[in-house]
Amino acid sequence: MSGLGLVLNIAKTALSTQQYGIDVTGHNIANVNNPSYSRQSPVIEAKEPASYGRILLGQGVDTTNVVRATDRFIEQQLREQKSNELAFEEMEQHMKVLEGYLNENSQTSISALLSDFWNLWHDISNNPAGSAERVALYEHGSLVSEKFNGLEADLLQLETDLTGAVNFGVSRINEITGEIADINTQIVGIEASKVANDLRDKRTALVSELAEYINIKSFEQSNGSLTIITAKGCVLIQGNESYDLEMGGAAGDRVTWRSSGNAIVDITDYISSGKLGGWLTMRDEVIAKCGLDLNALAKEFIWAINNQHSQGVGLNLFEPDSTLTGTYLTSTDLDALDFGSEIQFIADGFKFWIEDRTAPANPVMNAVSIDLSGLNGSSSLADVATAINNQIAAAGLAGVTASVSGNAIQFTAGSDYAFGFSDDTSNILAALGVNTFFQGAGSGSMELNPVLHDKDYIAAAKIEADGSYASGDNTNALAIVDLQHTSTQISQWTCDRINGNTQGTVTTTLEHYYHGLVGSMGTTSSSISRGRDFNEVLVSQLSEIRDAISAVSLDEEMTNLMKFQHAYAAAAKLITVADEMLDKLLSTK
Amino acid sequence: MRVTNKNVYDAVKFNLANIQEELHKANQVVATGKRISALSDDPVRLTESLHIRSALSNTEQLGRNISMGTSWLAASESSLSQVQDIISDTRALCIQMANGTIDASQRAAAANIVQNNIDEIVSLANTDVNGQYIFAGWKTDTVPFGQDGTYYGDNHAFTIKIGNDTTIEIGSDGEALFQALFTTLSDLKNALQGNDVDSIRGATTNLDIDFDRITTKISDIGSKMIRMETKEKIYQDAIITNTERLSEIEDADIAAAIIDLASRQLVYQAALASSARVMQLSLVDFLS
Repeated sequence: MSGLGLVLNIAKTALSTQQYGIDVTGHNIANVNNPSYSRQSPVIEAKEPASYGRILLGQGVDTTNVVRATDRFIEQQLREQKSNELAFEEMEQHMKVLEGYLNENSQTSISALLSDFWNLWHDISNNPAGSAERVALYEHGSLVSEKFNGLEADLLQLETDLTGAVNFGVSRINEITGEIADINTQIVGIEASKVANDLRDKRTALVSELAEYINIKSFEQSNGSLTIITAKGCVLIQGNESYDLEMGGAAGDRVTWRSSGNAIVDITDYISSGKLGGWLTMRDEVIAKCGLDLNALAKEFIWAINNQHSQGVGLNLFEPDSTLTGTYLTSTDLDALDFGSEIQFIADGFKFWIEDRTAPANPVMNAVSIDLSGLNGSSSLADVATAINNQIAAAGLAGVTASVSGNAIQFTAGSDYAFGFSDDTSNILAALGVNTFFQGAGSGSMELNPVLHDKDYIAAAKIEADGSYASGDNTNALAIVDLQHTSTQISQWTCDRINGNTQGTVTTTLEHYYHGLVGSMGTTSSSISRGRDFNEVLVSQLSEIRDAISAVSLDEEMTNLMKFQHAYAAAAKLITVADEMLDKLLSTK
Repeated sequence: MRVTNKNVYDAVKFNLANIQEELHKANQVVATGKRISALSDDPVRLTESLHIRSALSNTEQLGRNISMGTSWLAASESSLSQVQDIISDTRALCIQMANGTIDASQRAAAANIVQNNIDEIVSLANTDVNGQYIFAGWKTDTVPFGQDGTYYGDNHAFTIKIGNDTTIEIGSDGEALFQALFTTLSDLKNALQGNDVDSIRGATTNLDIDFDRITTKISDIGSKMIRMETKEKIYQDAIITNTERLSEIEDADIAAAIIDLASRQLVYQAALASSARVMQLSLVDFLS
């Protein structure tokens, strides 16, 4: 016979099982708004029956486990897509800033300034002697230079900001990996006997956050600990150990990984997703290309204008007692000049004109055709100065000497001598920065040649073969105007983090090159936005699937609550029945 | 599929955010009147619109060059036709003075008239447009002729650009144009003063040659003006075409944009209404 004790025992297991059920339901309800929470449910099983005589009787119920509703495959996919989405999202945000810098809806955009620049040369060609036109061109030239300088500075600032963001991301990654390693230890400890549901949720949340920063792959070990590796197969977490990322490289802008043996691996270019991936792609591909192309444009622009400008003459020659200093420096040889590679070492290099004003009423203009064939790329500035001085002397002329001052070429006129230049087919004057319009060799360094503070030195005219030059001569200005529609070869960059930056060339006009650059940034921006949209939808769909599996439904929980409550009441009734049966027995007389 | 509370709320958030973004874009198009407000809106068309803007700016500049050129040529034409009038008068005087009935004192008086004519032609040859001398070659800031007819300009012609590969001479080499005339006139003056009838007769022929030279120049100017007019018309057409094209690329079709905005507004309202209903439903409300 089973005895009344069994009934009470069964009632007791039933009560506690329903109680657990209500606990778990309550836990679920409490976590309804916890995004990383996975719905839990008790695993309820009948107790082993016991045999009483010839029959087996059930022993009641037992809660053997509490399990989480989760799908590891979906979680992992969601994490990877989220990682991609965040990369695009960060790129999109910074791209908006870049678009703002390249904004074309204003009169001060580079393309509008470039158009005006050519128009002002038209104006000078219409009135070469006019001072208003010269002042306008001078001011506008400064404005164009400043715009290039400003854009370059803005791009550098963006890069600095992105490096700062990466730096912040790296420290957050290190915090997260540390925490995950701790949780690994705890989970391994607990799961020797039980299932650590909530710790696992917490770890999943941390892994998701880690994936928001960087691309990772994770594997669960049989003891429950999670191994995580990142770009280039570098291990971030193994068991209870985590390995930190650091900022390294010469400029401190590279992300490096340090192994347990203190070996340092540069993983920067292999960080493909997460916020870090977005920031680095933006910095090392998008902004890098924009900066390099802008620089290539500025360099070609400076060279094209300078090379033509140096052929000409202003309203005056370089006057007696004056010095004229080149703007491009070299402490070694000519090849080291910014535009050194453009120099042609030919016999009829350029014409050096010296006006002898010893008889003021009757100035005499003489030219020396400077022969550069004795020089080469390895010649120094001093060699150039000597060659010029020797050839001036050989032509029986005097009054102007060439020398080297502060790593630049310098021409000094005697008190009755003035000088000028013409017919430079060797490009050497523009390469030395003599009689040029701009100085500098890129978007950051571009400036007007300080010689032009005296606007009379804007060279609209040319010295003619007979040595005459007229203030109304506009031939050099017209030649500069022609550059607007002249196609030249301009470097164009492709920036790829894995393959590096490669330089190609396009043949186009300066303005069209800039329009193309703006267009290509627009294309990049719109493809980033499309990528973001696409990944956003993907993430939303995966989240929906994940939540369908793992999230809490209040309707379900309320139903469960009712279910357990009623069962609890029934079990309580069982105790009452057993109690009444005992009473009955005890009152038997 | 199981629908959880998080599913419901997330879907509401996601959908409302998407619709709101589209509504915002539609509103921006209507508010700015521009189809393209950021580079990424339509990069290909944007590049095209930059090309067009640059071409427009260039065409407008060429238009300004032409109007400057036209004023120079008009000034030249007017000066030269006055010079021609003077030459005709002088020629008539010349023929009159070659007549045997004229005596030396009358001829001497006529010499003064010729001197006046020389002065007047010098002043016409020194015509300037906004301070630039049009008959001084490239020395546009130098008065080209002295009172005695000495030329201080040079032998070039001032040239401007009226097309990206077209230049046109709008100024002139004053020496080539006037020097022979001044010589003829001063010879005539001397002949009148010297009562040299043969030379006076000879001057008539020279004056005819001078007159023809000026005529050739005037007709050259006339043909240049026609060329410039044609160019100007082409540019005006190009400006209109390009401005229209630019507007096509950049400007929004306002009617379509407003309809678009209204339809998105409707979608947004519907989404708000349905979201509000779905979010309210819960079993909790029906349990006591």
